[in-house]
Amino acid sequence: MSGGEAHVESSVWMRAVLIGGVFLTIGILAFGAMGVGVANVKHVAYEEAILDYEDAKADYYKAKATYDLAKLDYTNASNAYDEGVTNGVSETDLAVLYEAKNTNQQAYEEAKGNYTTNEAAKEEAHHHEVEAHLSYLTWRTAGITILLMCITYAAFIGLGGFLNSIYPDEASHDDHGYGGDDHEHHGSGSPIVFSLGILLFLMGFPSFQGSLGDMLSGVEANLGDLGLSMLGLTVVTAGIANWWREDLPFIGNHEQIATSDPFAGQHIRKAGIWVFIMSEVMVFATFFSAYLRMRTEWCTGWQVANENPNCLVETSPGVFEYQINMLTASDFLRPNGGMLDGLGGQGDFMTLLPGAINTFALIISSYTIVLALKTAKDKNWVAPTGFMGKLLPTQKIAVRNYLIATFVLGSMFIVLKLVEWSHLVAEGFTIGTQAGSIFYISTGAHGVHVFVGLLIMLYLVFKADTVGYDERNGQGIEYFGLYWHFVDLAWVVIFPAFYLY
Amino acid sequence: MGEHETTGIFESMVEKLPGNYDIYFWNFVILMFFTLFEVAAVFFEKIPGTDIHISLYAVWAILIGVGVIKGYGIAAYFMHLKGDPRIYTRTALFPVLFVLLMLWGIGLSNPGSIAGLPDWCTPDWENFSTQR
Repeated sequence: MSGGEAHVESSVWMRAVLIGGVFLTIGILAFGAMGVGVANVKHVAYEEAILDYEDAKADYYKAKATYDLAKLDYTNASNAYDEGVTNGVSETDLAVLYEAKNTNQQAYEEAKGNYTTNEAAKEEAHHHEVEAHLSYLTWRTAGITILLMCITYAAFIGLGGFLNSIYPDEASHDDHGYGGDDHEHHGSGSPIVFSLGILLFLMGFPSFQGSLGDMLSGVEANLGDLGLSMLGLTVVTAGIANWWREDLPFIGNHEQIATSDPFAGQHIRKAGIWVFIMSEVMVFATFFSAYLRMRTEWCTGWQVANENPNCLVETSPGVFEYQINMLTASDFLRPNGGMLDGLGGQGDFMTLLPGAINTFALIISSYTIVLALKTAKDKNWVAPTGFMGKLLPTQKIAVRNYLIATFVLGSMFIVLKLVEWSHLVAEGFTIGTQAGSIFYISTGAHGVHVFVGLLIMLYLVFKADTVGYDERNGQGIEYFGLYWHFVDLAWVVIFPAFYLY
Repeated sequence: MGEHETTGIFESMVEKLPGNYDIYFWNFVILMFFTLFEVAAVFFEKIPGTDIHISLYAVWAILIGVGVIKGYGIAAYFMHLKGDPRIYTRTALFPVLFVLLMLWGIGLSNPGSIAGLPDWCTPDWENFSTQR
């Protein structure tokens, strides 16, 4: 073993496979408990709510028919009495007509009261039905999401461990092909392999997406169309596995330093991550500019509330009214959102809550990863006392647990995000509209970044648990932290723009 | 997020604050506070406990102002642009021109939505476009 690396036992890779198994177990248990158990109970409640709503609707229509009839009878009786007065009928006949009018008026008032009560009951039943549906979706979506995430985590960590276990100990930790002297560099060819895989995947993506769509909709698909993207994913997997094999034993010696301007003297990997983040800034800027361009054209609830003259529509000759022509996600989520065709405008504290929790979760996760780095770099670290002392007994475990906290918060972000999407789709905000398209693409792209970050973080947790991070190799956490803070920064823009405005 | 230099006004203030908390902790507290402030600005129609109505323009200004403060807090302290060599700040500023072009030049330029974009990018687009 050269001086720049830790010794990594084969048993470590078995631990990776074991952790993969733990993730699968968590996923299956969470799916069973939330996605099946609680969701089925909620589904029964939802079905009952549907029946209650149907009953309430039937009562409402019955009451409405009675009301319409009573109104007609009352109008007729009233007209007959008025005609009697006009035509000068006898007092006896007039008394009969008056009595009929009074009787019909009482029946009309009673029917009106009944109609109003049933209308309110129908609205309440509808509200309960919607609430029951959303509650069912919450548990079902959360269960499925946790299962799918855990399967991905298990595949990532299990496959990474398995692929690396094929290397004997001596080969796995030794030199990673850079000569074995003290002048080796922590350079790697894996990013190029990874990039090639992404290139192949994206080149084949249109056919891949079409074939997957056919398969999901039951249409006979041409499996050959999956080929290029599958090849790309295989190359990506190989790139990740190789990067993992190279980086795990790295304990911080021989970090590559830039020798020329403008980054002379700086770590090449740090400069690289900054350039990468800036390219990501441009990607999100394109989403945001497209959103702004569309947003300036739409008459949203916000524009109408601000009495934007562009939203004035001539509803009848000479009569102008402010009208909404587009619903945004915020119209469904924030209080006092706009309404169009019976959709939107139902936002309250609870609808805004998942997005708000996610915002706090990302900020807290940014802080926990800062704490992980700070702990790793601290040469004079002292274990805290009390309850925190039990959570953070040693420096190595403290770093790992801070990373686990970051990982859990990020995973929670994805689960809440998909729960929120399921609610929005159920309420009629689909990807089929301009507002839906830009919302789902922008927040989806952000979600993909979070998820990719979680996979990398899973590796960091694994390394923190096995090799460990300290002041020599803590920059691994620092460079990933830069990416994670960028993801937080992007959310700082996305959250107010799409959820609050 | 490397070794931190305590140089600015904020850092000097932090050193005087009670408790053994560093600048990252206070940055975290400020970020949490402003997030709460931003959500509350949208949630409440009136300033709580008063009859003062919060106009939509005020909410808009709050969202932008809070976004700038939070962005600064994350970039300067969590991403450690403050304290790191200037080359990283310059790198971070590199896409500013592109972002301004996208946001101002395209996003806010012509309220013709996406349908008007080809004609805006290429005047007299209708005569140039391929007729099918």
